[in-house]
Amino acid sequence: MTNIEKYNKAFVDNFNIEEQELSSISYQSISAWDSIGHMGLIASLEETFDIMMETDDIIDFSSYLKGKEILKKYDIEL
Amino acid sequence: MTSNSKLLKGKTAIITGCLKGIGRATMDLFAQNGADIFACCQFESEEFKHHIEVLSKDTCVLIYPLYFDLCDSEQIKTAIKFIRSAKRNIDVLVNIAGMTQDALFHMTTIDQLKKIFEVNFFSQIMFTQYVTKLMLQNKTGSVINISSISAIDGNMGQLSYSSSKAAIIGATKTMSIELAPYGIRVNALAPGVIKTDMTANLPIDILDKQLGKIKLKYFGFPLEVASSILFLASDMSSYITGQIIRIDGGMQ
Repeated sequence: MTNIEKYNKAFVDNFNIEEQELSSISYQSISAWDSIGHMGLIASLEETFDIMMETDDIIDFSSYLKGKEILKKYDIEL
Repeated sequence: MTSNSKLLKGKTAIITGCLKGIGRATMDLFAQNGADIFACCQFESEEFKHHIEVLSKDTCVLIYPLYFDLCDSEQIKTAIKFIRSAKRNIDVLVNIAGMTQDALFHMTTIDQLKKIFEVNFFSQIMFTQYVTKLMLQNKTGSVINISSISAIDGNMGQLSYSSSKAAIIGATKTMSIELAPYGIRVNALAPGVIKTDMTANLPIDILDKQLGKIKLKYFGFPLEVASSILFLASDMSSYITGQIIRIDGGMQ
């Protein structure tokens, strides 16, 4: 599985959404991505990519697209 | 105790401050109750290594020693990565590591206060943030923090210790609210005077005075605190969260 596939899977699994919806979603734009869903997503990504995100990055992780930028800081190329 | 009565059978626990005192008693009791354990200590020692080898063999559980400084965020991250690499569900976190440095209010420097808060509060919060993220996906878990009765009642000469332990109480209550949706319970114990290295050097007159305040008329043993930790870690306390439980022999 490629990194982008793993990244997408974390969203799909946590929020129970279709992959084609991903590019437009942001924090609280869907009911599943609330504060509880957010931490579930972060935990999945940390485990998937074996990283530990800084608190500031967890706060800044506000959309699917923003998340891609943030993961670059942890040397995850998507 | 028969295997059927092992309260933590099949569970995995992380315990900080395992080298001695309440942490050591908790590790021993958890092992006797079937938990696999990540035993966290600041320092490595031959005695400790030997102890966990024997304990692991006698109780048939896995004990992974982890040596790191809770005040070093990079060391915390390394420890968490090791725990994560073991690919085990983490069921229990017990935050025991702590320190005290007694001084009267007007004799307490801000640097002393910061140091105590660093060990007793900030580092524990950071560690708990990381560990509870490991618990999130399992939708279950129990976090047990160690506060102190001095956080509730105050204690002469313990401004920094009591205030850092009071911060633990506030954090425990807030964490219990925020983590409840994930099935994670968070509670704290507030021990009174327990026979550990931390209290061993207290002057006799102070100990006598403290003893006079205790209804049960003896100082607690680490195992008596560990037993309550075991209860909070186990499913026996499945409907308890956000509570601060005094373990003080009825101190008044």
